[in-house]
Amino acid sequence: MSKIVVLGAGIAGHVAASHLRRKLSKEHEVVVVSPNGNYQWIPSNIWVGIGRMKPKDILFPLAPLYAKKHIDYKQAKAVSFHPEGDSEENKPYILAEYVTGDQKGTQERVTYDYLINATGPKLNFEATEGLSPGKNKAHSVCTYTHAQEAWIALEGLIKQMKEGKKVRILIGTGHAKSTCQGAAFEYILNVEQELRRHKVRDMAEITWISNEYNLGDFGMDGMLMSYGSNIMKSSEMVEMIFEDRGIKWILGAGVSKVEDGVAHYETLDGSYKKESYDFAMLIPSFSGHGFKAYDRSGDDITDKLFRGFMIVDADYTPKPYEEWSVQDWPETYQNPSYSNIFAPGIAFAPPHSISKPRKSKNGTDITPAPPRTGMPSGITAKLVADNIIEMIKHSNDELHHKGSMGNMGAACIASAGFGMTTGSGVSITTYPIVPDYNKYPDTHGRKLGKTFGTIGLAGHWLKLALHYAFIYKAKMKPFWWLIPE
Amino acid sequence: MTRRISKYKRFMMMNPIIQFFKFIYLSIKVLIVVAGGHGGTRNA
Ligand SMILES: Cc1cc2nc3c(=O)[nH]c(=O)nc-3n(C[C@H](O)[C@H](O)[C@H](O)COP(=O)(O)OP(=O)(O)OC[C@H]3O[C@@H](n4cnc5c(N)ncnc54)[C@H](O)[C@@H]3O)c2cc1C
Repeated sequence: MSKIVVLGAGIAGHVAASHLRRKLSKEHEVVVVSPNGNYQWIPSNIWVGIGRMKPKDILFPLAPLYAKKHIDYKQAKAVSFHPEGDSEENKPYILAEYVTGDQKGTQERVTYDYLINATGPKLNFEATEGLSPGKNKAHSVCTYTHAQEAWIALEGLIKQMKEGKKVRILIGTGHAKSTCQGAAFEYILNVEQELRRHKVRDMAEITWISNEYNLGDFGMDGMLMSYGSNIMKSSEMVEMIFEDRGIKWILGAGVSKVEDGVAHYETLDGSYKKESYDFAMLIPSFSGHGFKAYDRSGDDITDKLFRGFMIVDADYTPKPYEEWSVQDWPETYQNPSYSNIFAPGIAFAPPHSISKPRKSKNGTDITPAPPRTGMPSGITAKLVADNIIEMIKHSNDELHHKGSMGNMGAACIASAGFGMTTGSGVSITTYPIVPDYNKYPDTHGRKLGKTFGTIGLAGHWLKLALHYAFIYKAKMKPFWWLIPE
Repeated sequence: MTRRISKYKRFMMMNPIIQFFKFIYLSIKVLIVVAGGHGGTRNA
């Protein structure tokens, strides 16, 4: 009998737990430890942030589902890692602290045979002075509560615009090393469309602020893609959309400080500037959770498990951009020191960024961090689950399931406005996610047919269809496993 | 120079009938990219 503990019930953790439960017999234990009692379909937060969906539309409680499916659930957060156990506990364990109910604040050693760390990112608002959701007129859509607060503020602003107030809206990244530009891109287009729907578009100046060097970089070094019968750069595509929607842009900007209605930022040319706004949505930087790890004798071994995020089978040797290769990226998400620990989704430490790193004249790193979107999070979680299942069933340590972001495609269906007949979506697929310049030297490291973009109403329908399909899948309804990650 | 979305392109982008077929095409295309599989890079 084996016990698999999954930390986190986001896209990666939930995918891993559900596949483990489906494929392993009941003699094996699957335990999920996660502080948020709800599963949330994060991509639809964008629509919560414009008031077109309510938080209840994008979440459901985990406890009843897990009880029904025989997954043991602890509403707790992991505090520290003890991969060798300690003097009192022979088995490896994580220390978890309950976050709710009578047990709130109590800690428990949760032992395991296999551990999946799928704790995603810490939303590191503190890294930018003054940036905190709902403060200084700056908001976030990274969680459903943040998105709901953003909508309340935006709704208030729309009211003022209807009364004749001219406003400035600033949307983008809130730190020099933020990631998730795609989410901010979706939000700016949705906000723009909502203002048109409310007939107040002419009352707002909308500006995109980002740490990207070019528009459409998305933390992926941009893309060369097929667009209809043309070949287009993602920068050209996004520029075309922004021009069409009357959105201004500021690039190569590392936001360092936010005051009431003012964002201070540094640009790559070394100048310090500020932008005022009446409403902002700025994506914070993402970081690891700051977990500590200890060996059997209680000595600190955090360096063996973490470098911010969790260390996996990546090549972390520092090297210049010109020498980066797809082989640097992990394939199995297994920790090299402890073969029973894995980290799929955002929880793994990437070897480096995907976008070309750039420093300002003052030496500030202004480079998008690499995104790990929903699809790779799900795929990596499933392959980790499959490897663990094989390790259990065949009692060997060989890992047959591999999935490098350098040999994996991703679909990014970015909402560009909500509405069954008026909505729009920017649909982009990329293969591979991490460009392979050896394999595809002439097409910016990507395969053209599989890297394509298109804009239109169908994109909105697809995004909406995915919303329902993935919530259906997450609820583990009949044949849920037929829906791919 | 910035490309522009022409009136014709916009009509194509927002026409529900054309977009219905585009939706089917897109769903299949996305499925192909996803189902196209994934693997390692080190022994490739
Ligand atoms: C606004 C927004 C829109 C997005 N839109 C898209 C999109 O359209 N398409 C797309 O592909 N991707 C999108 N993404 C990215 C996508 O949401 C992420 O790739 C995905 O959520 C990552 O999954 P994860 O499981 O690694 O992390 P998360 O989903 O963040 O899950 C982490 C889990 O760990 C738990 N946790 C945290 N701390 C602890 C702890 N100490 N102990 C135990 N558990 C813990 C959390 O409660 C959570 O359940 C979007 C992201 C944002 C923010």
